[in-house]
Amino acid sequence: MIQFLAPLVILAGEAVVEESGGIDLLLPDTSELIAGFIAFSIIFVFVWKWVLPAADQALAARQEAITGKLTQAEGAKQEAESLLNDYKEQLARAKGEANEIVDDARQMADALRTDLVGKAEAEAESIRGKAREDAAAEKERAAGQIRDEVASLSLELAQKVVAGSVDESAQRTLVDRYIDDLGSLET
Amino acid sequence: MAADQRIDGYAAAILEVAKAEGELARVGDELFRIARAFESSSELRDALSDPRLPTELKKGIVDDLLGSRASALSVSLVNFVVSVGMSSELPAIADRLAERAAAERNKVIAEVRTAIELNDETVARLTASLSRATGKDVELKAVVDPSVVGGVVAKVGDVVIDGSLSHRMQEIQKTLTRR
Repeated sequence: MIQFLAPLVILAGEAVVEESGGIDLLLPDTSELIAGFIAFSIIFVFVWKWVLPAADQALAARQEAITGKLTQAEGAKQEAESLLNDYKEQLARAKGEANEIVDDARQMADALRTDLVGKAEAEAESIRGKAREDAAAEKERAAGQIRDEVASLSLELAQKVVAGSVDESAQRTLVDRYIDDLGSLET
Repeated sequence: MAADQRIDGYAAAILEVAKAEGELARVGDELFRIARAFESSSELRDALSDPRLPTELKKGIVDDLLGSRASALSVSLVNFVVSVGMSSELPAIADRLAERAAAERNKVIAEVRTAIELNDETVARLTASLSRATGKDVELKAVVDPSVVGGVVAKVGDVVIDGSLSHRMQEIQKTLTRR
């Protein structure tokens, strides 16, 4: 509004200058003022009518585009966060499963080790028992062998002693006793 | 021909020869004693059974050993057995001969082993006792065997009546080793 009023002020000023005499040299001609005013009006209308709406429209489109992009970015961010959470969950689940697998493997290894140790101990005990039995049998066999040898030697010695001590009289007594004993076998 | 049949055949042949010569009892007794000597002497057994020694040498050994202690017929019959390569079967042939000879008199042989020589009275008592004990009419063949140590071992057929000291000692040995 001030812009529109400015020429009028100027015109009024010119009129005042004219009235004062020396200011006319500074003020433009009336015709020039009218032409300028008309040109200014034309430009003003042009700007007001087409340029400003177009600028407003461009600005609105620009604002809308930015808003859309912001919204899109927000969605992408949310989606990324969702994916991140999914990944974190999957990672946590994988870690849990890995831990379970490791625990299972450890338990299996423990059970296997316990089983193997038990079997090895049982086998070792069996071998020890067999060795004890063998040693006892060997000892018994050796003792039996010694006993047999002692008995054989004793018998041999006894035979020699008896053979040397049984004189003819004793021999005949033994034969007579045999004949008497035959009596108990009579059929 | 089985060995048992051959032994039986030779025993039968010797029996007939001895019977024909009228010396069955003597020949039977002498062959029985010779057989026991053959059994107890491994040197004699090896010498007469050795196929590498010539028959004449074996006959010489028999003549040297038996010539003065047995009748000529017994020595000839032993030489016959040796010459036909039946030396190792001599004890079996003598036993079979004794059995056959005894059987002809309806008797069975009782082989009696003692550590000492038995007198006639003891032989008669032993014969009577064995006859009563076995229920058979036995003909006693006495053999002196030092391994008996003392007492008597009598064998009648398959029956053995062992009353020897050696047997008792073996029983003691079994008792000792059984513990």
